[in-house]
Parts: sequence; structure tokens; C-alpha cells
Amino acid sequence: MITEQESRAAALTPEPSEDAFIRLPPIRVRTEANEVARFLRETGDSPTAGFVPLTYPARWLALPAVRGAILQSIGGSGFLPVHEAQSFSYERILRIETDYVLAVEACRTATPPRVILKMAVSTGEGAICARAETVLRIVPLNLEPAS
Amino acid sequence: MIEAEAKLAPADWPKAGDEIGARNFGPFPPEALARYAVISGDDNPLHLDPNAARAAGLAGPPVHGMLMLSCFEPLIMRWRRDLFIAQLSGKFLRPVLAGDGICVSGRVMRSRESPRPELVLRLVARARSNDLAIVGEAVVLYKIPDPLN
Repeated sequence: MITEQESRAAALTPEPSEDAFIRLPPIRVRTEANEVARFLRETGDSPTAGFVPLTYPARWLALPAVRGAILQSIGGSGFLPVHEAQSFSYERILRIETDYVLAVEACRTATPPRVILKMAVSTGEGAICARAETVLRIVPLNLEPAS
Repeated sequence: MIEAEAKLAPADWPKAGDEIGARNFGPFPPEALARYAVISGDDNPLHLDPNAARAAGLAGPPVHGMLMLSCFEPLIMRWRRDLFIAQLSGKFLRPVLAGDGICVSGRVMRSRESPRPELVLRLVARARSNDLAIVGEAVVLYKIPDPLN
């Protein structure tokens, strides 16, 4: 069932077009030890656990290029992305202090209004380590002052 | 190829219906959400600004869904250290507001020993109110134990 907010978002966001699909150029990332430790500390594990947590790649959604693709897919101000679903699929664990390459695609659907991001993490040699899919619901903001 | 995959199940390989335990995480006060926003990069104002949360129809900033989803890995690995989590997925059903905590738990839904030892786990995260926040699933494989860990 489509909620009232979803109906409003569908009415207010641009119609889907050829531009609704974005594929970014490959992005180099690195699992810095100190950042992994901080991530572990905030997600309930020991910062000295010595591994890269499997949800860690989600932080790469905040990279400027990826964030730009998300904002472009949302299509305007007055909306917020709300995380609706997330999945990770691993073939190899990610190792600390290691370089990886990200492949990212963003697709916007109008009905219901969502942005779906697909990310693949591979080694520099091209071996796939992990895939992730992020589903963001586009929620219109009610910017009217509260009465 | 799944890394460190083992072909034979151990004698104590879990069966369908086995509980994997439960564990509390949080509470997650606004400061915890601010720290997670910094380290995860998810600085969506929805999670940090009460006005933005209200504008989106919420009573207050919700805990990041990814922060809650991250709690399943320590739950699973505390249950058994000899597992490789090949898949983890979750749907965020109801927001858990800042200041609240969650209880994560799980159960073995499917177990097989061949052609490779594999379990499908049903995972849930509930707010203190018992509201269902996340329904998730994990596919885990038996991995060759690392003698160094």
C-alpha cells in the first residue's frame, strides 16, 4: 500500500527519465586501521577486534561522489532519504589497511519513490569481495511551521 | 569462492529451530548518533536534528538503521566463532528513537551440511517497547577455524 507521504513524494519528484540511472567511475578506497577501530567502537564490538566489520562498506556511501549521486537521484531539496533496506553479500572478508575499488550504481524509481544503490567492492586485481544494496525511500519534508 | 570455506560440518552443527541468543545494544543517546554519524559519514539531519525528524513525521531523531544492523554481526560471532557471514540483509520496519536501545536476537531457520555446511538465520531487532525495528536474514557458512583467533 502506498502511504500518503509516498504519494506526495511521487507527485513532487521529477518523472523518471533516461537520467534515472547513474553509474559512477571506479573509486579507490582503503580500510584504514584507525577508522575501522572507531567504527567497531561505535557499533558494539571491540575496537581491537582486528577485522573489518561487514557493514563497514556502508560508510563509503558518504564519499563525495556517491553522496552526489544520491542527491542527484533524489532530485531536489525538500526531501530526505530514509534507509528502508540494506543487504551485504560477501565472497571474501575485507582486510585492514588494504586498498579496494568500488563500483557504484544508483537507480531512482518513481513509484514508489526510491533510490537503489548497488555497490561492488573488489581488490585491485579485480576479484570481487563484497556486494551491497541500499534502498532509500524518498520522504518529502513538511517544512510548514508547526501550529 | 567463499573465503576459508569448510566442506564438512562439525559434530555440533546447529539445527533448524536453534536459538542463537539475544543481546542488548545501546541505549543510543543523541551523542552516540552524532559519533556514529562522524565515523559512518551518515550525517543525514534526520538522525541528528529534531526539527528535521519532525519535518519527516517522526517524534524525534531515529537511530541510524545501519547502526542497528551492525549489531547482528557481534551477536552471530558471539554465538559461534567458526562462521563466515556470507550474506546479511535487513528491512528497517519501525524507527527506534534516540535514547532508546535495542535487543537483537536470532534463530536458525534452515540448516544443511552438504554440499557445504550452511545456515540461514532469521534475525530481529526490537526496541525496548518490543516494537519490531528490523527483520533480517543472514546466510552463514562453516569456516575453517583460524588457529590464531
